[in-house]
Amino acid sequence: MPASAPPLRRRIGALLDRPAWAFWVFAGPFMIGLAVFSYIPILWSVYLSFFEARNTVAPSEFVGLRNYAQMLTSAAFLDSLLTFTLFALFIVPTTVAASLALALLVNRARWAQPFLRSVYFLPAACSYVVAALIWKLSIFNGVRFGLANTVLGWFRAEPQAWLSVTDPPWYWLVLVTLRLWLQVGFYMLIFLAGLQRIPAVLYEAAYVDGARRGWSTLRHITLPQLRTTTAAVLLLNLIAAYQAFDEFYNVLGSDGAYPPYARPPLVYLYYTALGSGQDFGRGTAGAVILALLIAIVTLLQGRLLGFGRERT
Amino acid sequence: MRGQDRTGSAHTRRRFLQMAGVSAAAAVAAACGSDTGRGGGGGGLSHWYHQYGEDGVEEAVRRYAAAYDRVEVSVQWTPGNYDTKLLSALQGGSPPDVFEYQTKADLVRAGTLAPLDDVIGDAKDDFSAASLASHTFEGSVYGIPQAVDTQFLVYRKSLLDDAGLEPPTSFEALVDAARSLTEGDRKGLFLGNNGGTDVLGPVPLWSNGLDYVTDDHKAGFDDPAAAEVFGGLHDLFESGALLLGAPTDWSDPSAFLQGLTAMQWTGLWTLPQIEEEFPGDYGVLPWPAFGGDGSASVPVGAFGAMAYADGPMVEEAKEYIKWLWIDQTEYQEDFNLGYGFHIPPRTSLAEKADELASGPAAEVVGFVDGLGRPSSPPEWTPAMDSAYKDALTNIIKSGKDPEGELKAAAGTVQGELDKIFG
Amino acid sequence: MTPAHGPSDGPARTAGARRSPAAAGRAGPAAARRSAEHRRRRRATLAAGVLLYTVLVAAAAAFLLPYYLIARNGLSTDEEITSPEWTLIPGSLQWSNITDLFAGPGSLMATGLWNSAVVAVLQTGGQLLVCSLAGYALARIPYRHAGAVFYAIVATLMIPAAVTFVPTFVMVSSLGWVSSLRGLVIPMLFSGFTAFLFRQFFLNFPAELEDAARVDGLGYWGTYWRVVVPNSLEFFAAIGLITFIGSWNAFLWPLVIAQDAESWTVQIVLSTKITAQTIDLQELFAAAMVSVAPLVLVFLFFQRYIVQGVTETGIKG
Repeated sequence: MPASAPPLRRRIGALLDRPAWAFWVFAGPFMIGLAVFSYIPILWSVYLSFFEARNTVAPSEFVGLRNYAQMLTSAAFLDSLLTFTLFALFIVPTTVAASLALALLVNRARWAQPFLRSVYFLPAACSYVVAALIWKLSIFNGVRFGLANTVLGWFRAEPQAWLSVTDPPWYWLVLVTLRLWLQVGFYMLIFLAGLQRIPAVLYEAAYVDGARRGWSTLRHITLPQLRTTTAAVLLLNLIAAYQAFDEFYNVLGSDGAYPPYARPPLVYLYYTALGSGQDFGRGTAGAVILALLIAIVTLLQGRLLGFGRERT
Repeated sequence: MRGQDRTGSAHTRRRFLQMAGVSAAAAVAAACGSDTGRGGGGGGLSHWYHQYGEDGVEEAVRRYAAAYDRVEVSVQWTPGNYDTKLLSALQGGSPPDVFEYQTKADLVRAGTLAPLDDVIGDAKDDFSAASLASHTFEGSVYGIPQAVDTQFLVYRKSLLDDAGLEPPTSFEALVDAARSLTEGDRKGLFLGNNGGTDVLGPVPLWSNGLDYVTDDHKAGFDDPAAAEVFGGLHDLFESGALLLGAPTDWSDPSAFLQGLTAMQWTGLWTLPQIEEEFPGDYGVLPWPAFGGDGSASVPVGAFGAMAYADGPMVEEAKEYIKWLWIDQTEYQEDFNLGYGFHIPPRTSLAEKADELASGPAAEVVGFVDGLGRPSSPPEWTPAMDSAYKDALTNIIKSGKDPEGELKAAAGTVQGELDKIFG
Repeated sequence: MTPAHGPSDGPARTAGARRSPAAAGRAGPAAARRSAEHRRRRRATLAAGVLLYTVLVAAAAAFLLPYYLIARNGLSTDEEITSPEWTLIPGSLQWSNITDLFAGPGSLMATGLWNSAVVAVLQTGGQLLVCSLAGYALARIPYRHAGAVFYAIVATLMIPAAVTFVPTFVMVSSLGWVSSLRGLVIPMLFSGFTAFLFRQFFLNFPAELEDAARVDGLGYWGTYWRVVVPNSLEFFAAIGLITFIGSWNAFLWPLVIAQDAESWTVQIVLSTKITAQTIDLQELFAAAMVSVAPLVLVFLFFQRYIVQGVTETGIKG
C-alpha cells in the first residue's frame, strides 16, 4: 500500500504528521470558535461594562465603575443572588437524593429494568418550556380542578393559588418539582453506572463478615463507593442551577413582565440588557460579576471535592 | 490529481487555501455590521402593528394598506413582545416608518416621534378627550388614536340579587360583595391572576384622589392615601374572595362565563361573549371610589398611529396616516367594530355605531366619556411603570409595608421625571 | 464497554446464591427448621419485591403523568380542559387542534418547527465534527502545548455558557447575526464540555487499532477518519443525540438572538403563547404535543446510546 501512495499525498501527509500541524488542523476550528465566541466576548464585555451603552452594543460614554456600582448596590441584583442561593439549596440536595434513591431501587429490580430506566429517563426529551406549560396551566393552576388542587381535595384541604401568592411561596414547589421531573432520570443513570461499577466482592466479603443486606451495606459500602459519583452529580447539578432561566421565565413571566420575587440572576440580566431598558452597559457589568462569582464558587467546589485533578 | 507535477499542485493548493482564508476573513469583516445587527429595507413605507388577538384584523389592515395608492406600504404583523421589539428598533436598529404605539415623553424628548398636529387638523374636536390626552404631550399631538380600549367591572345580576346586594358603588361595598358572593367553587371577584397588580394601574390611585404624576411633574403616589388603598387591596387579596390562578387571565371572560367568579375586571372586547352566555343577566360598573376625595373611574387606553421623525419618508408617512386614520372613516369603523369590540375614538363614529347604542355597551361608552382617564399618560415611561408595578406586587401580594414600598417606587419615578422635565 | 465487575443487582443475587447450596446439603430436623426459615425469608423477599415494584410502578406513573397530560389536553376542547369533571380520555379526539396550528399563511408553528429542525441538525453535525476533532487532538496528538490548550478549554467550563449570554450576544450582534441562522447555530458549536467528553472517550480508545493504521502508513488525519471514527459510531450517536435534544429544547439563546418572528424556534413560539395575555388552551397543548412528540420518538428509539454513553465516559466510581 505505501508504495502505491502518490508522492504528493505523502508530502501533505508528512506535513500533517508533524504534531504541531496536525494538532492545529484538528483543533484549530474549535479553538478559533472558542476564542471568537467565548474568550473575546468576555473580554469585550469587560470593556463595554465601563461605558454607557443603551439600546446599542457599541460603547458611548465612559463611565468607569458606575455600572458595577449600580449593579452591586441594586437591591434587585442582590435579591437575584439570594433567589439563586435559595433555589440551589432546594434543588440540589433533592435531586441528588431522589436520583440516588431511584438508582438504588432500579438497581434492585431484576424484571423490566430497561423499561423502567427508559420511563424515568423519558422526561429528558421534554423541554423546560413545555414542562413550564404543563406545570403552570395543568398541574398547578389555581382553580379547584387543577391537578394539585384535586389531590388536595382528596385530603379535604383548601385549593391553593400556587403561582399567584407569595406568602407562602408555593412557586418554589412548582419550580423545584418541575426541575426534578426533568433532571432525575439523567442523574439516576449516572448513579446506576456508578453502582454497577462497585465490585461484587466487596458485598460478598461483607456478608462473610456477617453483615445483613440493607441499611448497613448501604451505609458502609455503597455510599462510600459512590463518593466520586455523588460529587460529580452535585457539581453538575449546581452548574445546571446557575443556568436557571427557562422555567422561571415561562412559569412566572407574563407578557414581557416579571414579578420582583423569585428572579434568578440570569432572568434579571435578561431584562436589564434585553428588556425594555436595553442597558448593555449594566448588563455586561452584571454578567462579569456573575461570571466571577461562579468561577470562584466552582473553583472552591472543585478544591473541596478533590475534583478535576484525576481527570488529566 | 494524482501523478501530476507535485510542485505545481502543492503550490496551487496552498494558494487556494490562502485565498479561501482571505475571503473567509473578508466575509467575516463584511458581516460585521450595525449595532443591533439588522439590515434595512428599501422602497415604500413600513408599517408595524402588534398582534391583535381577534381574527381578521391582520387581513383587514393589510387591505387598508393595499388600498393606499400613493406609496407602497408594507405591513409587519408583529407577534410576541411588541414593546421591546419596537423600542429597540426605534432606538437602535432599523425603525419602521409608521407604527402604532403609545405616546411616551422619553420618545418625544429623543426626537423619535413626528408631531402630527397638521395631520389631525380640525378633526381634533371629533376625538374623545381621554384618547386625545393619551397622545398629547406639551401641547402637540404625536399619535392619531386608532381604537379606544377600556376596562370595567362586570357582574352577574342574578347572583347579586340572590345575595340581596346592590351593585357596589364604593370600595367597601365592592369588598363586601366579593366576600358575600364567595361560596363553593365560586369566588366573588376576579382581578386577574396577579390580584390586579398588573392590570389596575392608576385606577386605585384615582379612587382616592391621587394620580401617577402631579401637574407639577412630581410622583403623585407617595401619600398615605395611596398606602390606604393598596392596603385595602392587600386585605382583599388575603381574604380569599379573589379568584387566583385561573387557567386564563383577566382579559379572557372564561372565568366569568364558567361561573368561577361572580364579578370580573375585564375589557370591552369581552362583552359580545358575555352577552351570548348570559343575555340580560350581567351589568357593568366603573371601579368605585375609595374615599371622599376619590371618584369612580375607568382607565382608557388607545394605541395611536405614529410616524418616525428621523425617517427618510416622514412626509409620506404623515400623509398615509392622515389618509387612513383621519379620512377613511369606513376603515376606522371597520377596524374598531368589525373584528373585536373597541370604541372608535372619534365621537361621530361612536355615536353612529349600533353595537354601542344600547345595553351595557352603551353604559361603558358613558363611563369612558364621563369617567375615563388615560391609563398610560405620555409622561409615564416603562421604567416608571415597572417600579410602580413592583411596589404594587410587594404590597398586595407579599404584604410588605405600603408606605415604604411606595416611597421607594416614587423615588425611581421622580428620578425618571427629572430626566424628562429637567 | 460493559461494567467490569458484578451483576446488575449485586447484593440480592449473591446472597440468594449463597444460601441454597448450604441449605440443600443437610437432612433431618435441622434441615426442616432451616427450610422453614428459608421459606420465611423467601416470603420476606417476596414482600420486599412487591413493595419495590409498587414503588417503582407508582414512580413510573408519576413520571409519565405530564406526558399524558399534554396528550390528553392537546386532543381536547377548551371546555374539556377547564371543565370541573375530569375525563381520562376526551370524548372525541380533537385532531383538528393539530391541523389548526398549521392552517393559514405564515403559520408560526410551521416556521418554528422548521427553524428548530434546521438549527438542531446543523448544530448537531457541526458540534460533532468540530468537537470530536478537537477531542482527538487533545487525546492523541503529542503537541507540546496541548496541555495549555486543554486548560484553556477547561477554563471555559468553569463559567456555564448561559451566564455569558450577554457578552456572546454583544459579539454576535456586532457581527450582524441577530435573527439569522448563523447567529442561532454557530455560537453554539464550540462546546467545551463536548470536546472534553470526546477527549475522555478517545483516551480510552484501543490504541492497537491506531497503531495498526500507523503501520499501514496512515497519518493522524487518515487514522482518524478511517479507523477511529468508524469504530466509535455508537459514542458519536450518543453525543449526537444529546446535542440534538439540547438544541431542539434550547430556549435562552434562541430567545436572545432570534428576535424576528421568522427566525423563531418552536420553543420561542411556545413561550410566546404561554406568556401571552390571552391563552388559547387547546391550541397551546396541541402545540406542545407537536413540539415534544418528535423528540420523544427519537428518544425512545435511540436512548440506549445515551445510556451506553453515560456508562462509558460516565463518572467512574
